[in-house]
Amino acid sequence: MSENNYVELRHLEKHFKDFHASKDININISKGKLVALLGPSGSGKTTILRMIAGLETPDSGDIILDGKVVNNIPGSERGIGFVFQNYALFRYMTVYDNIAFGLRVKKTKESEIKERVSELLKLIGCEGLEKRYPSQLSGGQRQRVAFARALAPSPQLLLLDEPFAAIDAKVRVELRTWLREMISRLGITSIFVTHDQDEAIEVADEIIVTNQGRVEQKGTPRELYSRPATPFVAQFIGNSIQIKNYADFNCFEQRSPDSTAVLRPEFISVLKKNETQQFSTSADEGVVEDIIFRGSSIELRVRIHGVLLSASRSVNDTPVEVGEKVDVFVYRMYVIDGDTITLVDNDSLKQESVVI
Amino acid sequence: MGQKQKPGPFQWFLIILCAVFLCVMLILPLTYIIVTAFREGLGVYIKAITDEYALKAVTLTVQVTLIAVAVNTVFGICAAWCITKFSFHGKKIISTFIDLPVTVSPIIAGLIYILLYGRQSALYPILREYGIKVVFAIPGIVLATIFVTFPFISRELIPVLTAQGTDEEEAAALMGADAFTIFRKVTFPHIKWALLYGVVLCTARAMGEFGAVSVLSGHLRGKTNTMPLYVELLYQGYDFTGAFAISSLLVIMAVAVLALRSILEHKGGKPGDILK
Amino acid sequence: MNFRKSIIPGFGLSFGIMMTILGFIVLVPLAGLVVYTAQISFSDFVETVTRPRILSSYYVSISTALVAAIINSVMGLILAWILVRYDFPGRRLIDGIIELPFALPTAVAGIALTHLTTVNGWVGSFFAKFGIKIAYTRLGITIALVFIGIPFVVRSVQPVLEKFDAQYDEAAHILGAGKIRTFWKVIFPEILPALLSGFTLAFARGIGEYGSVVFIAGNTPYETEITPLLIMSELQEYDYVSATSIALIMLGIAFLILLVNAIIQSVVSKRVSGLA
Repeated sequence: MSENNYVELRHLEKHFKDFHASKDININISKGKLVALLGPSGSGKTTILRMIAGLETPDSGDIILDGKVVNNIPGSERGIGFVFQNYALFRYMTVYDNIAFGLRVKKTKESEIKERVSELLKLIGCEGLEKRYPSQLSGGQRQRVAFARALAPSPQLLLLDEPFAAIDAKVRVELRTWLREMISRLGITSIFVTHDQDEAIEVADEIIVTNQGRVEQKGTPRELYSRPATPFVAQFIGNSIQIKNYADFNCFEQRSPDSTAVLRPEFISVLKKNETQQFSTSADEGVVEDIIFRGSSIELRVRIHGVLLSASRSVNDTPVEVGEKVDVFVYRMYVIDGDTITLVDNDSLKQESVVI
Repeated sequence: MGQKQKPGPFQWFLIILCAVFLCVMLILPLTYIIVTAFREGLGVYIKAITDEYALKAVTLTVQVTLIAVAVNTVFGICAAWCITKFSFHGKKIISTFIDLPVTVSPIIAGLIYILLYGRQSALYPILREYGIKVVFAIPGIVLATIFVTFPFISRELIPVLTAQGTDEEEAAALMGADAFTIFRKVTFPHIKWALLYGVVLCTARAMGEFGAVSVLSGHLRGKTNTMPLYVELLYQGYDFTGAFAISSLLVIMAVAVLALRSILEHKGGKPGDILK
Repeated sequence: MNFRKSIIPGFGLSFGIMMTILGFIVLVPLAGLVVYTAQISFSDFVETVTRPRILSSYYVSISTALVAAIINSVMGLILAWILVRYDFPGRRLIDGIIELPFALPTAVAGIALTHLTTVNGWVGSFFAKFGIKIAYTRLGITIALVFIGIPFVVRSVQPVLEKFDAQYDEAAHILGAGKIRTFWKVIFPEILPALLSGFTLAFARGIGEYGSVVFIAGNTPYETEITPLLIMSELQEYDYVSATSIALIMLGIAFLILLVNAIIQSVVSKRVSGLA
């Protein structure tokens, strides 16, 4: 097991004055994996990344890279490449000098540097931009140059801090795919920090969810979706809504006095009154309060039992109107009771499966 | 920056008010100095500024200024780098002490050096044993000049470095660059115009300092007179033409400083543009 | 003094240089002042600082500095306003010349202002017709302090006004607020902290100013004798105990002014951030 782990964090603790930024962080990351650190802002994800890079020193605990404890090894000798949130390109150096910087520091021969830089420029598709300054590049180009600069000294581990945060929405989607391809082609172990779950789900092999300085769960995107380990993950992943009065819904029972439930749009189907479906009889009645056209689908806000739920319908379905009464069928929900979380199916689903 | 308004009548009133205020308060004194300096003709003017004591005052002023600016430049760069690139306890207190000299009266600045190095000080016997004279001598003038211009350079650099952040330095450090390389290649290009401006400002103030230097100089004609002290000496001897002639040199310096400042601000204002 | 480890190298060296120079120039001399003060007996101290001549010098220094700082606040605000908001010929010239009082040696400014405002001077002769004397009166001192204080308020307010988006007052305008109302209700509260800190700096500087004032003041005891001049004359008589005592009171006043400013700033910034 552990010989396959390239990055191991053991019991890391970190305080910034009174702020407890990291609480007993334990993480294993296998060689060659692309891992996302996902969490809301202030959840401690960037601190973890910066500790791995040696930009911050943990109060206690071990950082192990490739089987070696590196706590006392300076960041520059840990064999890592780091892409900063705002890229931190050297503003007064050309693209060429930016990428060559790490190699020059290592006293590489100028001829080798030239070879390596042109190889990287080709890789990132920025040939011909050598003589430009960062201020003369587009956001996407800057990101690529920052990526190339981090890769130039051939690191074993690539760390990226919010790599897409500073880019326009349209270019961002394009760059995500590009980055994923690039990293899988190079086979380099990579960790990136993000607060955007779509980004994490789309790009990463594995996601580590952080919250309030703790690691909540680590798993593949699919695992996080289908088997959230903690209430926080259940609420954070997906477009979730937390409700208290879940027992008001047909075919759901109160499981314990203080428990609450988390609902996601994909757990809900909304039907017009004249549409029928297998479980129509166990549906609840709700009123459409808002309709948002999303292009590929239509998002509905439906008021039901006093709570406002999100659901979606296909653009091909018969349109619904604001104020219209509709049938809402809830397939399943996560019931949260203290720290435990259970996926509860609609009772009518069970009965059907028994009958058939 | 928003687009600027075209002024209407009320705006013109404000503008003219300011123009009159500045003309009376700033331009008039300047003009007066130049006019008075040349009142008795170019010959007298040239004689006044090439007087033996005048030249000695100029020489001393230049020497003192060079030392003070050099010390403050080294200090300014180190302090700005230290304060903006690292976090450590006591930073606020240190910053306060750095800024303190500009809020202290120049007379008090002179006083504290007299108390430290003067005849009644515990250090005085030691200094005398080694033959070092501080008070009423050139070292005292140098110290006082450094003191009154102390934060000028660091103050110019700190805002620039704060705005720039530490990302670039961290990136360079992560790639293994040493401190000197990082400063030279990464940090210095950001601060060069601010540094030059700070040096210019520091030079102007160092040449013109009067109060603190006056306390420490002892007024030995030709030996410890800087230009401003020499101006005072002439003025009190009712040699007004001479006083204004020497003053005119300082006026020229001040105007040159302002012109340079204007150019530097224009250049340093937009980083990136200057690269082309 | 402990500090967090940083990846950026060079902390030790820059910190060392910074503290060495800071120590020599500021900390040790200040410590010297403290040590010397401790040797002064309290009764001597009280006796010195309450001499009528000295008490009246506080009054002269503080009242003239206060009036000058108020004039500078009003003119500085208008100047900053026209420089940021309006476009008119000569704008850059005015912007450039604002810092003249920084660049021009104070002694030079002092003799020029004095000569201009004596009863025979260009300006003084005009006012003399109305029986107003400027040079060698408190009015003269105030004018010298206005001169040296001009840049403080302008340079404090200007950057704030520049950052202040024109959208704010457009928003207020759309909401129906008139121009004057917009200024007082929307813009003025935003620039008040900067205005106050400019005022404080000009005030504190004015109390300690020596070079530009000493010529124009005339230095008549009880009338136009400023506190820094009294320290100077005590020093010339080698009465260091008196000089230090008076200086301590001045330092106390300067400290108090800066403290009040700091408190106001923190209250205002809390109010602004509380609303945001």
